Amino acid sequence: MDLTSALQRLASYRAKQSRASADIVKDGELVLRKAGLTKLGDEEWAFLEQLALAALDTGKLDVADDITDGYAIQACLERLAAKFPESPRVDVLQGIRMEATESSETVIRYYNTLLEADESNIAAWKRKISVLKSSGDIKTAVQELSTLLDTFYTDVEGWLELGSIYSSCNQYTSALQCLSHAMILAPQNAFYILEAAETAYSAADIPLALKFYLRVVEMLDEPPTSGTTPSRPEGPTLRAWYGVKLCARDLLTSTPTASQSESQTTPPSEKHLRLLDELSTERILAAYSPSSSKAGEGPPLGRETVVKWLENTSSTS
Amino acid sequence: MSFTAKSLLFAASLILLHAAYSTYEHMSQLKALGRPEDRLPLDIIIESILALATGIIGATLNSAELKEITWASEMKNRNIDEMDSRLGFANFNNKGKIFFASSNPQS
Repeated sequence: MDLTSALQRLASYRAKQSRASADIVKDGELVLRKAGLTKLGDEEWAFLEQLALAALDTGKLDVADDITDGYAIQACLERLAAKFPESPRVDVLQGIRMEATESSETVIRYYNTLLEADESNIAAWKRKISVLKSSGDIKTAVQELSTLLDTFYTDVEGWLELGSIYSSCNQYTSALQCLSHAMILAPQNAFYILEAAETAYSAADIPLALKFYLRVVEMLDEPPTSGTTPSRPEGPTLRAWYGVKLCARDLLTSTPTASQSESQTTPPSEKHLRLLDELSTERILAAYSPSSSKAGEGPPLGRETVVKWLENTSSTS
Repeated sequence: MSFTAKSLLFAASLILLHAAYSTYEHMSQLKALGRPEDRLPLDIIIESILALATGIIGATLNSAELKEITWASEMKNRNIDEMDSRLGFANFNNKGKIFFASSNPQS
């Protein structure tokens, strides 16, 4: 493991906003040990913030028998506070540090003082909502989050969080409304449409789910790299094809009343459903076909299981 | 590829510096001779155009790897955990301190 690859990994985690806390702590400790802070230049502060958050996520506060980690997290916070004395971002970081040890009332009071000082400190507001949610006070959390989203409409993260809270309480229609706002704000992002499809499927609104799944497939469709054979579906595309297969099977086998949609979406005709069934079966098999696996990787795992599942679903329809 | 690109850029800058120095010397010579209006000799002009061409080729070869332009290709490199990470609302008071604590052998 060398310094440059660690720094590159950390930069990609920062750009992609992934929550890979254990890996970040490992790479960050390597950077600190090899004195790589000077190599970062201006990104040093973003790195320290990232390392502090990851260390808090993995609980490396002041572990008694692991002094270096304890000093690392304290050193990060002290360095950031020294460089940016009046910064609201550092204040929020101190608040997160308190979240790990203090009671939720203390922390909420701290965030309230931050919000009184500066009304537009979105980060502090979000942390307050997160503490409310994790301490079990979902009602206040939802109220506060709705107020935040009324004030700051373009916050996609907030809409996703509200949708997730509603889903966890089985209020799927409200969740779908939140996700639709997220989809308006980030129209090119297929993942939010995939989430909406799966939420609609959980809410038993199969025609709407089918529509969303097909939209995901359409968005992620890439022209074939060579000749006329379409490229192998992977990642979110494969997930969407599974969704299409499930929805088509459900609509073909269910009674007309069961295929009623709460959102008044009309399901496609039976002929189209059979064609979709066939197409999704073929695409799922193509994803697991041995001929399309990358060179040197061998046949894809799980092919037999998938084939068995597809046979079972076809025989019941 | 990057070695040829960097050496081409280096060569181009050397040629340009040489052409610039030759121009300076020629101009000072003309000034000393009292004929400051005469044209530059043709070989200096050709040398600077050559430096320009070499520099263009070197700079083009030295550029970063081209990335795909479609949203679909970018989505292929992401997964739903990154897109839905919601780091602003992340709960830091979790079981991480138990999972990631260094193991102590209990007596």
